[in-house]
Amino acid sequence: MTRWASAHLDEIGRRDTWITIREHFGVRALGINAFVGPEAGDEIIHSHAEDWRDHEELYVVLAGHATFTVDGDEIDAPARTIVYVREPSARRGAVAKESQTTILAVGGKPGAAFEPSPYDVAWPWMRRAAEHYRAERYAEAAAEMREGLAELPGNTALRYNLACYSALAGEPEEALAALRQAVEEDPRFADLARGDPDFASLREDPRFTQLVG
Amino acid sequence: MSGAYEVLSLDDLDRIPVAEGLEWRPIRRRLGIRSFGTNAYTSERVGGWVVEEHVEGSGHEELYVLVSGRARFTLDGEELDAPAGTIVFLPEHDVTRKAVAEEEGTTVLAFGGWPDRPFEPSQWEWYFEASDQEPARAIEIMREGIAELGEKPWLLYELARHEARAGRRDEAREHLAQAVEREPRAAERAAGDEHLRELLP
Repeated sequence: MTRWASAHLDEIGRRDTWITIREHFGVRALGINAFVGPEAGDEIIHSHAEDWRDHEELYVVLAGHATFTVDGDEIDAPARTIVYVREPSARRGAVAKESQTTILAVGGKPGAAFEPSPYDVAWPWMRRAAEHYRAERYAEAAAEMREGLAELPGNTALRYNLACYSALAGEPEEALAALRQAVEEDPRFADLARGDPDFASLREDPRFTQLVG
Repeated sequence: MSGAYEVLSLDDLDRIPVAEGLEWRPIRRRLGIRSFGTNAYTSERVGGWVVEEHVEGSGHEELYVLVSGRARFTLDGEELDAPAGTIVFLPEHDVTRKAVAEEEGTTVLAFGGWPDRPFEPSQWEWYFEASDQEPARAIEIMREGIAELGEKPWLLYELARHEARAGRRDEAREHLAQAVEREPRAAERAAGDEHLRELLP
């Protein structure tokens, strides 16, 4: 590894509107990325909570103007605004009020060494699978998850999504096996699966009910 | 607003003068962030420091984000022009780094932590904050640091220094002795300090 590296935000690779700072530099101590809203009204940070990994998160509006919503409260956030969400269960999201609004997001789990999320690590397969999913090619999406798992056998995000895509592709046995393993590795997937429309075809299967409660 | 989150502007942050135009703008301590280190640094004048020359003695990897203005970094002797939007990453803690403002009001955000273990705050956050305070307030700040991090040598040293400034010589002598016991280099530093040299054993 070089002793130092630099890049302008415009030079760093993107996953759609996600500027992958952590991956670009190989940062290991904390999670750090930026997100862009190309046009006013675009979602920059999708509404989510961080309780599945107990992260605290700091957001800094680097350019433009955003509206944050945290636990239902609207926050006007021009450039240079800092929003610190200390409570992992707080739902937070942000929408652009101006074009090219850019938000830096930094996070970590107090008391623990940083680990990238399984979604982050599995991104190459997730991205290709998402394209198949949007085109309703569910078998191809499931194949991407299998390919990813061959490289990252312990990745729970790939495992859970294999369950989703297999269910959608009409492969209930594979879906249930993958979901069982995902829930064993991380019981919070049971909560997620309970309300996940991807499992509509399995709702009446007693094995599914037994798995997710 | 619930206690789940907090909102502020970079412009609301305290400005604590450090040296050569550099103002330390504490973020981590202000918000109570526990999983990584972060602070802002501003210079209102061209040529002022926005990163003081140092190596990262803590062993942290560090990442600097140019929020506004323009800076010139010097990294192991190599110069780097850094307009707003530039990110500089230093995975190696022993890179000598420094940055000066090329425009008025240049602001740099710094983030740091260890790659393989949980974050702990650095002692310097407290003694930087105490540095420009009256002795009574500075003593309070150092005691807050000790309450949070324990009796770390440089916290005890700075507590002793502010106690000496306040004329509380007995307490200062005791805390200096405790600092030296934990970190012998504290004696060398005290020998060069007008408030502490007379209190060395």
